[in-house]
Amino acid sequence: MGDREQLLRDIGIADFVLTELVLYLDTHPHDCKAMEYFNHYNRIKLQMEKEFSQKYYPLNTRYAESGKEWRWGAAPLPWEGACA
Amino acid sequence: MHEHWKDDNFEDFPIAMAYVPWQKFERLYDDLEKGYCAGTIFPELDKPFTGRRCV
Repeated sequence: MGDREQLLRDIGIADFVLTELVLYLDTHPHDCKAMEYFNHYNRIKLQMEKEFSQKYYPLNTRYAESGKEWRWGAAPLPWEGACA
Repeated sequence: MHEHWKDDNFEDFPIAMAYVPWQKFERLYDDLEKGYCAGTIFPELDKPFTGRRCV
């Protein structure tokens, strides 16, 4: 697995962790420990998304700020097999 | 009205109804990749389906 694929997989894992914590917090809105975990992994995920978007291609339009060339179109398309 | 769904005193619950015990936050999988593959980051919720009974 290359660096790009590894980073994308790590982002996917962090995203899954956040989804799980969101589901838990929906029913336990006063659980401080779970909120700390959420804040922690949310920061990590945002950082990884930013890093990925700067190094490879923007993961969403929030990270599509461009200089000389419009970068949003630089991402491979789903049928190009690079979404995994 | 007392909100039975907020507590865990099963003896006090009305009969003939189904209840799900509250999850308590213990810990996450140390290896989050393992949780990713298992479909949950909470070890206590990792219950593989065997097709016959619960594990």
